[in-house]
Amino acid sequence: MERKRMTIWTSLAVMALGLSVLAGCKGSEGGGDTTGGATTGSTPGGDGKPTDTGGTTARKAPTGKGNTQSGDTIKIGLVASVNGELKPWGDDCVKGAQLAVDEVNAKGGIQGKKVELLIQDSASKAEQGKSAAEKLVSDGVLGIIGEVASGITLQMANTAFAAGLPIVAVGATRTDITDIGSNVFRVCYTDDFQGPVMAKFAYDELGIKNVAIMTDKAQPYSVGLSDAFRKKFEELGGKIVAEEFYQSPQDKQFGAQLAKIKEAGPEGLFLSGYFTEVGAIARQAKEQGLDVKIFGGDGWDSTELNTAGGEAIVGGFFCNHYNNEETRPEVQDFLQKWAAKFNGEKPATTMGALGYDATMLMLDALGRAKSLDSAALTAAIEETAGFKGVSGEINLTGNNGNPPKRALVVEVTATGQVFRKAYEPSDVK
Amino acid sequence: MDSGLHLVAGLDWGALPQNLILAIGLGAVYALIALGYTMVYGVLKLINFAHSEVFMLGAYTALFTSYWLGFSPEALQQASRESNWLNLLMMLLASMVFCAVVGVIIEFFAYRPMRDQPRIASLITAIGVSLLIQYGGALVLPVSPPPSINEAVNPYRGSIPVQLIAQNPALAAEAAKAKEAFDVADAAFQEQMKAERSEFDLSPRGLELRTAKQVAERNYRTVRKKAEDSGRELSIPKGQMIMFGTTVMLMAVLTWLVLKTRTGRAMRAASHDFDTASLMGISVNRIVTITFIIGSALAGAGAMMQATFIGTPLTTFYAVSLGVKAFVAAVLGGIGNIPGAVLGGMLMALAETLVVWMGKSEWKDAIAFVILIVVLLFRPGGLLGSAKVEKV
Repeated sequence: MERKRMTIWTSLAVMALGLSVLAGCKGSEGGGDTTGGATTGSTPGGDGKPTDTGGTTARKAPTGKGNTQSGDTIKIGLVASVNGELKPWGDDCVKGAQLAVDEVNAKGGIQGKKVELLIQDSASKAEQGKSAAEKLVSDGVLGIIGEVASGITLQMANTAFAAGLPIVAVGATRTDITDIGSNVFRVCYTDDFQGPVMAKFAYDELGIKNVAIMTDKAQPYSVGLSDAFRKKFEELGGKIVAEEFYQSPQDKQFGAQLAKIKEAGPEGLFLSGYFTEVGAIARQAKEQGLDVKIFGGDGWDSTELNTAGGEAIVGGFFCNHYNNEETRPEVQDFLQKWAAKFNGEKPATTMGALGYDATMLMLDALGRAKSLDSAALTAAIEETAGFKGVSGEINLTGNNGNPPKRALVVEVTATGQVFRKAYEPSDVK
Repeated sequence: MDSGLHLVAGLDWGALPQNLILAIGLGAVYALIALGYTMVYGVLKLINFAHSEVFMLGAYTALFTSYWLGFSPEALQQASRESNWLNLLMMLLASMVFCAVVGVIIEFFAYRPMRDQPRIASLITAIGVSLLIQYGGALVLPVSPPPSINEAVNPYRGSIPVQLIAQNPALAAEAAKAKEAFDVADAAFQEQMKAERSEFDLSPRGLELRTAKQVAERNYRTVRKKAEDSGRELSIPKGQMIMFGTTVMLMAVLTWLVLKTRTGRAMRAASHDFDTASLMGISVNRIVTITFIIGSALAGAGAMMQATFIGTPLTTFYAVSLGVKAFVAAVLGGIGNIPGAVLGGMLMALAETLVVWMGKSEWKDAIAFVILIVVLLFRPGGLLGSAKVEKV
C-alpha cells in the first residue's frame, strides 16, 4: 500500500516537473513575439506593463565599452532561429540579412571596407540566444541584429547592454524590451500599437460594437495584446461582452469557452493567441454555429494558419508588419532582389523584409558613424531618421528605440493573405 | 430568459445540456489515453510515461496517412477533393496498428530488460523513452511549421441542431423580418461595391451604405439572439459524436476481451499476481505484449480522432500535457481499474467543462488537480480502485 501510493505520488510529481519544464521553454518557442516568462524579472522596467513608447524619458547607457573594428572587414552579427519551432521566421531573417549585406558589399562596402555577416543560431531558445550573442561579442562584431521572438531578444539585449554593443531587434514586439538601455532598437511596431489598430479596425471598418475575446493565458504576448485591444475598444465605445481563457500547449478543445461566448452573443471574436491555436479555435467555433467575424494580431502570421483553420479562418483579419502585395517602390524593389537571389521565390513570412530592414538600417548607420566602433554605431543608429525601409519609414531619433511604424490589416483568404487597410501611428492615438 | 430557464445563482442552466455534450467529446479522448496507462499499470505496476508519446506518433501516422490518401497541402492546392468515411477508417487503422507496433517495441527494448530491477529503474527508463521520442522525433518529423491534418479529409464537419424547446413564433417572425431588412441593405451595399476600389477605402455613398448594412446586421443579430434565447437548441458537433461513438465501441470490445476471453482471464491473473500466474502456465511475456498492443492501439485511435476532428497543429510535444491529464484521470478512477479509467476521464472532462460554464475559465486546469487531491485524500486507491494493502 505504502509503496503503491508512493509510486503514484512520485509519478505525479515527476510529471508535474516535466510539465513545468516544458512550460518554461514554451515561453520562447511559441512564435514571433513570445516573451520568456522567466526573463522578465531581469530587465530594468520589465514589469510586463505596457509603457509609453516614443517618450522622452532617458534610457540608461550601456555599461560595456563595446568593440572596435580591426582587420580588413567590418563584422556585424546576426542571431536567428536557424533551428527549432521558429525556423520559418529564422530562415527568412537570415536570407533578408544576407541580401542586405551582399547589396552593400556589391556597391563597394562601407568606408572602403567589406562587411562580414556572422550568423549564430538561437535554436528558438532564449538561453541559446544569449550564448549566441555572447559568442558574437567575443568574435568582435560592432553590432548585433535579432531576434524575432521577444523572449530571446530580451536575453540578447541584456548581453549587448553589458558588452556595450548596439542591438537592432527584428520582430520582437513586446513593449518593454527597449527599456533595457539606450543601445536597444527595433524595426517593428509594439504590442501597444497593434492592439488598438485591431480595435479601431473592428469598430470602424467592420462595424462591430460587441466583441468577445479569447486569450491565451500562457503567453504574455497574448495577455498584453488582449489588454491593449480591450482598452482601445472600450474607449471607442464598444463593449467586451465576454472574455474567455485557454492555455496554449495543452488545450486542444475549446468547446466550453466557445459555448459561453455564443451565449453572450457577440458580433466579433478577437483571438490574441498564436496561429497554433487560432486555427483550431476558428474551426471549432464554426462547428458550434458561432458565425462571427474573427480577428487577431501578428501571431497569426504563418503559412500553416490556413491548414489549421480550414474554411473557418477564411474571412478573418489580422495585423501584420508588411505585405508582399504593396505597391510602394521599396517593396517592389525588395521583392525583385529577393527573387533574383533566391530562385524567383517570395519571402514566406514578414520576417524576410524585417530582417532586411534591420540589417540595412545598421549598415546605413555604419556608413554615417564617426568612427568604426560600437559606441559610434549606437549613436549613429539613434540618429536614424527617415530611413526608407521595406516595411515602411523608420525614425529612431528620440523614440527610445521604438520607431513609430505603420501596421497593415490583412484578410485571410483561401490562398493566403490579402492586404486590406494600413494604419499610421497617428491613426490610433 | 422567458421560457422558464432562469439564471439561478448566476448560472445559465439552459446552456448546461450543450456543455454536457461538449464534455463527452473531451472525455472520450482522456478516457482512451487513460485506458493505456491503467492497463499497463494493472499488469506491470509500471507507469508508462512513454504512452503520451505513442499517442503523439499516432497523430503523426494519421497525418501521413492523410497525405498518402491525397490530402497533403500540395495535392489540395492543385485540386480540392471530397473525402468519405473509408479514408477516416484507413487513418484510424493505420494509427492503431502503428501505435501497437511502437508500444511493443518500447516494451521489448526498454521495459523488459528492466522488469526484474527495482521499480524506480523502470520508472526512470520510461521517462527516458518519453524524452527520447519527443526530442528524437523533432529531428525527423516535420515540426516547423507544425503541420495539421487538413479538414477536407473529414467528411463529417459541422454540427447537428437538436431543438429542445421551440422558439417563440412571434420572435422568430421578427428575426425573419430583420433578416430580410439586412439582406436588402447588404444587396444595396454589394451593388455599390462594384463601383468602389475596396471595402476599406469607400466613397461617402459607399460608407453610408456600409453603415446601413452594419446597423441592419447588428439589429438582425440582436433579434435573432432574442429568438434563439426564447427556445433552446443543442448543436451536436458531428466529429465529437464520432469520437464518442468510436470510444464506446472500442471500450465494449475491450471489456469483452478482458472479461470473456482466455487471454483476458490470463491478463487478469497476471495483474493479480505476476509470479503465480506464470506458475499456472501463463506466458507472462505474451500477456505483457498483448497489454501493450491494446493500450497503444487505443491511444492511436484517440490520437487519430483528436488530430482529425479537433485540428490543432502537431509537434512532438503534442501529447505531453494531454498525457498528464489522462494519467490523472487514470489515478482518479483508480489506476489499474479499466472502468475507473473511463470514469476518471469523463469526470475530468466534466469538471473542466463545467468550470468554464460557471464562468471561471482561468481555473479550468487547476480544478482537475484539486479534484484529484481531494479524491486521493479520501480514497487513496482512486474512485473505483482497491484500497487494500498491497503485499510487496
